[in-house]
Amino acid sequence: MRMPAPSDGDPAIEAAGITKRFGGSGASAGAVDAVHDLTLSVLRGERLAFIGPNGAGKSTSIKILTGILHPTSGTARVLGLVPWQQRRALAARTGTLFGQRSQLWFELSPRQSLRMLGAIYGMDRDRELRRVAELGDLLDAGDLFDQPVRDLSLGQRMRCELAACLLHDPEILFLDEPTIGLDLLAKRRFRELLVTLNEASGTTVFLTSHDVADIEHVAQRVVVISAGRLIYDDSVPAMRRTMLSTKLVDVGLERAGAPLDLDGVTVLASDQTSAQLSVDTSRTSIREVLGRVLDTWSVSDISVVDPPLEQVIAEIYAERRP
Amino acid sequence: MSVPLLRRLAVPADVSGRRVLASRDGLVVALLFYLLVSGILSALWRAAAGEHGDVAGYSAVALTWYVFTAEAATCAINVRMIEEVGDDIGSGAVAVEMLRPLPVVAVRLAAEVGRCSARLGILLLPGATFAWIVAGPPPSTAATALALPALVLAVAANLCLQHALAGAAFWLRDTRAMWFLYQKLVFILGGMLLPLEVLPGVLRDVAMALPFMTMAYAPARLASGHVEPWLLLVQAGWLVVLAAGAGAVFSAGQRRLQVVGG
Repeated sequence: MRMPAPSDGDPAIEAAGITKRFGGSGASAGAVDAVHDLTLSVLRGERLAFIGPNGAGKSTSIKILTGILHPTSGTARVLGLVPWQQRRALAARTGTLFGQRSQLWFELSPRQSLRMLGAIYGMDRDRELRRVAELGDLLDAGDLFDQPVRDLSLGQRMRCELAACLLHDPEILFLDEPTIGLDLLAKRRFRELLVTLNEASGTTVFLTSHDVADIEHVAQRVVVISAGRLIYDDSVPAMRRTMLSTKLVDVGLERAGAPLDLDGVTVLASDQTSAQLSVDTSRTSIREVLGRVLDTWSVSDISVVDPPLEQVIAEIYAERRP
Repeated sequence: MSVPLLRRLAVPADVSGRRVLASRDGLVVALLFYLLVSGILSALWRAAAGEHGDVAGYSAVALTWYVFTAEAATCAINVRMIEEVGDDIGSGAVAVEMLRPLPVVAVRLAAEVGRCSARLGILLLPGATFAWIVAGPPPSTAATALALPALVLAVAANLCLQHALAGAAFWLRDTRAMWFLYQKLVFILGGMLLPLEVLPGVLRDVAMALPFMTMAYAPARLASGHVEPWLLLVQAGWLVVLAAGAGAVFSAGQRRLQVVGG
C-alpha cells in the first residue's frame, strides 16, 4: 500500500480545453457540447467533488478522463498518460466505479468476481488473496463476498463494487454517482469509507455527484459543472462559507404557531401542519434556529436538509452576475 | 504485472467453467434438450439409411455418432450469445469492461470457452453412452481421438464468430436478426442437421469453404469414423482468422464508441 501523499503538488489529472461534441461536426445544427472547454488540474491524494445537475457533463468528463471517450478537442494527461490513447495502461493504475453500472458478474459471488479481476489485473494469487482480505476488513464486507450478488442490498453491493475497484490498489479512484439510490445510512457509510481510504493510502478521489452532501462529507475541493461548462472551482470550506451556508429546515406541526423572528431565517412555505424554513447559517446557527422552533412551536417532526444542487448552482450564477 | 497473458485469461475460463458445473438446474435442462434432439435426429437418419444401407457414404452407426457429436458441439454454446453480447454493447455495459487492462473480447472469449467446455464435458458422457446403446461403439477409435480436440476447436471457432457478429452492435441498434440468420447457417451450412456430403454439389462446395463447417461438421465427421486429421488443421486455421476478426471488430467498435459516444 502506498504512503499517503495528499496534495503534494504533483498532478494526477491535467485537462486543458476539453470539449466533447455529440450529434454532429463543427457547429452544425443539432450538435451539442456535452463538455465545453474544460480545464482542470487535480493533485495526487486530493479528494475532488465534480458536481452538477443531471446532464451537466459529469459522466462524459469521467469517460474522457478514463479513456472510454475521445474528446472532440483538447488535451489531457492522467498519471502522465493520454487516457484515450493509453486506456488499458491507465486502467491498470486507476479504479472506476459507475453507480449505475456493475462491474461484478451477477452470476458469480463477489469473491469469484474478485478472483477474475485479480487475474485480469495480473495480480499473483498470494497478493490477490491478501488484498481481498484487507478490503474485506476495510469495507466491512468480508461476509458479503460469498453471497450471490443478486442477494445483496444496493448498499452492500456498492461496498463490493468498491472492493472490485480497489483490488489492484489504484492511484486514482473515479466514482461516478456512487451514492445514487443508497439510503441515508448507506450513503454516510460510503462517504466515510472514501475518506478513510484516501487518508490511509493517499488514493486520489474524483467523485461526481448531484448530491450536495457528498461535497461536504467527502471532498476537500469542489468543481461545479453546468451545461458542460466549469462554473465554480474552490475549496469546500470556501464553498461552505459562501454557497452552502443555507440549510433548509422542514418542520411538521401539530398546530400552527406564532411567526418566528430570527435574523437570516425565511419562511419559504407554511400551512396548518407544516413549515419550511430557509436558514442562512452565517447569520444564525442551525442549533439556535432549532432551539427557537422547538420552544415556540408545537413540533411533531423536524429535519434539516441541504438545498438542492440546482439552488446552489443558481446562487453561483447569481454571485457571478455583475 | 508479470503474470503471463494466458494465465491471466485462464482464470476467467476456470471460474466460469466451475460456475456452470455448480448450476445443476441449467445443466439438467441442457442435457435433456441435447439427448432429446440428438435422439430424434439420429433415429430419423438411421431410418433414412436403413439397417445395412447408407446416406452419402455414412452408415446408420456413423450417422448416429455424427448427430450426437454435431449436437454436442452446438448445444454446448449459449444459443442467444449474439443477442446477449449485442445487448451489452448496445446498453453501454461494455464500457465498464473497457476500463480493464485486458482486451474486452479476450476476457469475454476466455470466460465463454470455460463455460462451454464445462457444458461440453457434461453433455459428452451421457451423449456417448446414449449413442453407444442405440447404435453400438464408435466406428473408429483413432477418429474418435481426433474428434475430441476437434470439438474444442469447434466451440472456440463458434464463439469467435458469434462475438465478431455481435460486435456489429457497435454500429447497429439490434443484432437479433443477425442471431436468427447465424443459427440457420450453422444448422445447414455448419452440418449440424445433416452431413455436408448430403448437400447438392455447389452448395456442398460452398459449405466446405465457409467457417461454419468447423463448428459442427468437422468434429462430427471425425466422430463418425473418418480419420481425416486435415480437418483439425482447417479448424485451427479458421479459429485464428475468426479470433482475429472478433478482435478487429471489437477494436474498431470501441474506437467508434470512443469517438462518437454510445
